[in-house]
Amino acid sequence: MPPQLRLNAVAFVSPQNHPILIRTFGQQRQDELKYHYIAHTSLDVIDERIAAAATSKSTECYLSLLYTMEDVAVYGYITPLKVKIIIALALSDAVVRDADVITIFRALHTAYRHSVANPFLKLNAPADGVNDHASLLLAGSAQWKGFRRRVDEIGRAVGAIPPGGI
Amino acid sequence: MNSYPSELLNQLAPVMFVAGLEDLTLQPPQTPTRTTAPQDPFAALSTRLREVLLSQRKAAIWQPEKNRTFKVLLADKDMRFPPRKVEDPQTHTMHSPLSPLTPTSPMYPDGLISPFWIRKHTTLVPAVFVIFMRIYESPVQQPRSPLDVPDADREREREVEERRRDTELASDIAQRKKHMNEYGVKLTVVLLASRRMLDDPALDARLTFIRRQSGLDPRAALFVLSPVSQAEIGDFVRSLQDALYEPAVEYYTNHSKRVRRKRNKHSQTASSYPLPMSPIGAAGTTPRPLRPEGWTVRYEYKMACFAEFRGEDEIALKHYQDAYSSLLIMFGSTAILPPRTKRWSEARVLADCINVKICKLYLYNNEHSLALAHHNSHIRRFADFCRGWGVGEETFEFWAWLARQHRILAELLEEGTKSTLKIPSHFRTPSQTAALIAAHTLDSSTSQRTLMEAETQRLLGVNPMQALQHPGFYYYMAARCTERRRERFLSALESETATATPAYATEKKVDHLAVMVELYTKAHDNFKHFRTAGNQGHDRFILWIVNKIAETYCMQRKYQVAVRFFERIARTYRHEGWTSLLLPLLLTWYQCAQQLGDMELSVRLLIEMLSHGAGYRRDDPDAMQEDLMAVLKSTVPSSTNKPLVIEPSESEPILESCIVFWKPDVNVGEAAPFQISLTAPSGVSMSALPFTTLTVEFSADIPPIVVQHSLGDNGQALSQVRKIDLGLISISASPQKDKLEARVVEGVLRWGPGHTVVLAGALLSDTPRTLSIIKVELTLQEGSWTIQFPLQLIKPRHRHPIISRWLVSSQPPRFTPITWESYSELHIHHRPHKIQVSLAHHAPAYLGEEYPIVVEVCNTDERELDMVMDVLLQPTEYDEAVNYISVDDQRSSSLIKGVSLGVIPPGASLLKTIYLCSSGVAGDRTIDISVQSRSTATPEPSSPASPSLSADISLVDKGETLQTLVVSAVEAFKLEHDVTYRRSLRPQPGPSDLRTFDADYWDDRDGGEAIVASTFVCSGPSSVAVEAIKLIREDGAYAKVVDCSVEDDTDVLAEWLPGDEFCGSCRVSLAPGDELEEDEGIPGPGAYEITWRRVLLDGERGSPSTSRFSLPPLRPPTDGLIALLDTPPIARLHEPITIRLTIRNRHPSRSANVTVHLETEATDSFVVAGLRSGRLPILLPGTEEQILWRLIPIECGYVKVPRIRVVDRRRAVEQAQGGQGPLPDSESEADAVRIVDIRWDVKDASASVKTARISMDDSTRKGEPIILVVP
Repeated sequence: MPPQLRLNAVAFVSPQNHPILIRTFGQQRQDELKYHYIAHTSLDVIDERIAAAATSKSTECYLSLLYTMEDVAVYGYITPLKVKIIIALALSDAVVRDADVITIFRALHTAYRHSVANPFLKLNAPADGVNDHASLLLAGSAQWKGFRRRVDEIGRAVGAIPPGGI
Repeated sequence: MNSYPSELLNQLAPVMFVAGLEDLTLQPPQTPTRTTAPQDPFAALSTRLREVLLSQRKAAIWQPEKNRTFKVLLADKDMRFPPRKVEDPQTHTMHSPLSPLTPTSPMYPDGLISPFWIRKHTTLVPAVFVIFMRIYESPVQQPRSPLDVPDADREREREVEERRRDTELASDIAQRKKHMNEYGVKLTVVLLASRRMLDDPALDARLTFIRRQSGLDPRAALFVLSPVSQAEIGDFVRSLQDALYEPAVEYYTNHSKRVRRKRNKHSQTASSYPLPMSPIGAAGTTPRPLRPEGWTVRYEYKMACFAEFRGEDEIALKHYQDAYSSLLIMFGSTAILPPRTKRWSEARVLADCINVKICKLYLYNNEHSLALAHHNSHIRRFADFCRGWGVGEETFEFWAWLARQHRILAELLEEGTKSTLKIPSHFRTPSQTAALIAAHTLDSSTSQRTLMEAETQRLLGVNPMQALQHPGFYYYMAARCTERRRERFLSALESETATATPAYATEKKVDHLAVMVELYTKAHDNFKHFRTAGNQGHDRFILWIVNKIAETYCMQRKYQVAVRFFERIARTYRHEGWTSLLLPLLLTWYQCAQQLGDMELSVRLLIEMLSHGAGYRRDDPDAMQEDLMAVLKSTVPSSTNKPLVIEPSESEPILESCIVFWKPDVNVGEAAPFQISLTAPSGVSMSALPFTTLTVEFSADIPPIVVQHSLGDNGQALSQVRKIDLGLISISASPQKDKLEARVVEGVLRWGPGHTVVLAGALLSDTPRTLSIIKVELTLQEGSWTIQFPLQLIKPRHRHPIISRWLVSSQPPRFTPITWESYSELHIHHRPHKIQVSLAHHAPAYLGEEYPIVVEVCNTDERELDMVMDVLLQPTEYDEAVNYISVDDQRSSSLIKGVSLGVIPPGASLLKTIYLCSSGVAGDRTIDISVQSRSTATPEPSSPASPSLSADISLVDKGETLQTLVVSAVEAFKLEHDVTYRRSLRPQPGPSDLRTFDADYWDDRDGGEAIVASTFVCSGPSSVAVEAIKLIREDGAYAKVVDCSVEDDTDVLAEWLPGDEFCGSCRVSLAPGDELEEDEGIPGPGAYEITWRRVLLDGERGSPSTSRFSLPPLRPPTDGLIALLDTPPIARLHEPITIRLTIRNRHPSRSANVTVHLETEATDSFVVAGLRSGRLPILLPGTEEQILWRLIPIECGYVKVPRIRVVDRRRAVEQAQGGQGPLPDSESEADAVRIVDIRWDVKDASASVKTARISMDDSTRKGEPIILVVP
């Protein structure tokens, strides 16, 4: 049995590279910024990977290990609609099974889909849908709690402590 | 890398000393007799040799290539090597001067290994010693004349001299050789000789002599070189090294063997090794001698080094690992290595260096994960040790060491990537992985381990700790560690507990920030170097590191540089909307700006932070504005006469603004309400900011509106949503006079967190135009500061979808979202013109007539309107329909444009008649009628071609009324034709009748005659007065009209009521030629033309129209074999009559064998004279035969002609001749030929060719021919 993965942070980034939601688990407040930086810099590697995948015509969503930095290993995932999901796992000297990471990503992707499916996100959006991605960003805003709740549930399932208590 | 002794890190290579090259350059030309060459060839040679030898290998950490080259050092010809062993004066044993057993050694008594030892083997003692020497060459004697005999004396003299010189040389060499042999160093002599010498036959003998005399080895010990070109020098150096590589390897192997022997001996005797016991009290002062573990480290390390000299990486790696593990054992016990001693720190350096060597050797072999695994475990183990030693994570020493570890790995990787090392990618698409596995299975030589590794990676995943990344990451880590080191150092500085330690003294000298900048810069360079080419400048990693550098500069108080960096970084963060990253950056930036005293920048940054709202100091929403107010109050701007303008182009606007016009289109003179809502960010308060005015500017020449701040109810708290009424703004037609006069309105310009101020007003214009609000600008005044905030009015930033909304009621505030598109612009139009267009006509129209349509245009507006009408006839889908319309004197098949209706005063109306003439097929005709009106009050646009046309169009008061009319056109008459055909009764010309060949011969043999009966029906709904009917003849090649019944009939020329019918008939003679296709009819040879007028409702008659109806195409049937019976219709009793039977063979190819029988019966009413039964001659195709009978009637009344039977026997004969089938039993088996009474000869048109050949007559009319016999 491989050691339990420790999930430190989750980030959802829109196809236009705007942050949708960045959630840290069991981190001190001053460290939260670090995960924002990690999410942002991961986009570099993700871009690189997408380009590599495009040349080989791969449709793989899982982008594998992006990089390791200090005490975290950063993994990336891109949904078919180009929403990027980034997770930071605590670095431990053990093999991280891709299958486990993919399971986390799938769960996060499902959480995202469920949240974006909320029809009330588009309540006030113009009907023509030009700014469609704007409503995706809205899903992560403080106004809507469902997405956070779902992500926290996944975090809890992995064993992370969501901010704001159990 | 500089923090470790380079000896312990550099890649080792066999060492070669080269001597004797300096002598040559220094030597003056030996032969003064010769012409002084510009440069002595030997001097040049030696210079080049030195260049080649010295340049081939530089001291470097990363040198994986095994190309049998030496590390070459220049040495003195007479150099002596350091003594191998010195005598220990106490024990009188011989030990190396570097041995811990030698009291004078720096290692005495318990040192492990010193860099001096490596230095000894890299700089003091070579594996091979190469010495360059000149062989003696006697001066050349130029023969005085070609005839001179060689001077024997001189020759002998020369030989003696040579022998003497050679002997000297040999003894010199021998002496050196002796010294070298003591050390096991191979001596190689390169004799330099001129080219001439090489050809001397005596050279070989001389060389042999020298070698023997000097005692040199037989192999690879003596070379001869003459001055040669650069390329050849390279070849020489290569072959020299090739030849000497083996002895060098042997030299180091011998050393290894020696050390191994010592190690083995040592490990056996380790327990009994004499340990000089020291008094217990003096344990602290007298160091204890080296422990057995120490000796193991020493020996393993030496063996590893010798293996490295030999280029045997695998062996070296093993020995290094052994040395490393022994070292760990030593570190494990503070008794063996007491912390914070000299030996302890030496050992730590050694351990670190061995770690680097091990990593490097793994990386040489592309075993990235093993290398990283070792490095990580090194860090982990020593971090554990450090805790035990009291230099744990809370000390700056620990972080300094950790930074050093990361840095050296980064440097190693950087060196490596410059040459052979490739950073692996941890991302493989499935296909790539499959290809990799396949490649592995194909290439069986690949080690099993890498294959396993790839397999594991594919199946499981990677250990992120062991995923090799480019050196930038490790530099970054080193920089981060240095940052921690600085923090620890600063805290130590405060506590003043550690200030006494010596480490503190050295730490004080370190400029941490400079080191951080250096490391971050290196990381930055590496990130830049390793980014992929396709990454279009989105170097977020680089930005992160630049941010770190800038922060470090801040700490270094280099604010100017830092600010420049921040500017660059903020651009991307703003653009991508990463507010969470932007805010801390802005804070630091703001601190820099404060330090620099750049007040404008400080204000800008504060305002930007303010506009980001929540996220900054969540606990205190007022902090921001307090800071800003403090700055504004305490400082003055750099230039007071120019206001500071905060452009919202890049950053978030301070207030979110939204402009909504309730209706996108209004008419002139109608008020258009609009709202401008300005919303402050939530989470931050800006209620204290003293905004003074808000200016709203419109497009066009509308005077701006200025809202001035006025303190309303002082005590009351500001409500969440407030409304400022701007009132009705009417725009006069002549805007010039009050252009500069701005309207001033008062309102409260203060915003609490998330507050919204709605400016509501209405626009009223008496001229048509397009209006928008082009600028909303807030002005803030405080002290000498004047700050202007132009608010962003273009589309809201895409990441903040502002929902446009309309304030419906302010108490309680309720908004309705605006979901339509064009709410940000207002179009003002003229009022539409009120015009009634009505159409009068009596449908349907008849084809061919000019159908009148009366258009009535009525001006119901109160304005006088100038009107113009366009009429468009839509094309029909029937190709042959040619329609046209006419108005007045204009006539067109599609569009009549610009029919002027003139100026129509209010209430008046005008009639206009459009005539539609449709022809061709019946169906609907569509007419579009457009009446354009223009108010006569506005002037007509001066010139339609003027460039401002498009602008003018909206200003001209114009309107258009459209009407579409569908008229169904029907035929006035319907015509039906009934065609019957008759056979020609004229005698047939024979097959060879020459008349038939005449051009004008009308051959109606086949065609006969057609009788066309035409029925005209008045099918339309109204009466028609027919004025003329005639048949226009168009006689063709195959048909011509013989006569016609209508031509002289005047009865028909009357008024026809709907449903009236009239019939006419005509006879057409047909002569279908051979050219005529059988399935194609003969075109009708004429057309009926009816001239008529419609009888209108009021009894009037319309305009004359003409309809034409073509005769139908004719399809005469054809016959095969036919018998025509011609009998007179009336006979007198007892008066003989003649009946004639004509048998025609109209078959195109078949002859006919015909028999005729006249069967009289007793009851017959005739007495017959003629053939009763007989066979006719064979009828060829196209021929006919006639048979005549005389009959005398013997009875009155309608009497039947005796029965005649005509039989074609051809088929029966054929069958009999063929003998195939049974003979026909009777004649009835043969084909009976139809007998046609020509009085009743009427045929329908042939339905098809086939039936026409077989059946010729309507069987229903078939009957016995009857004659009326009168008395």
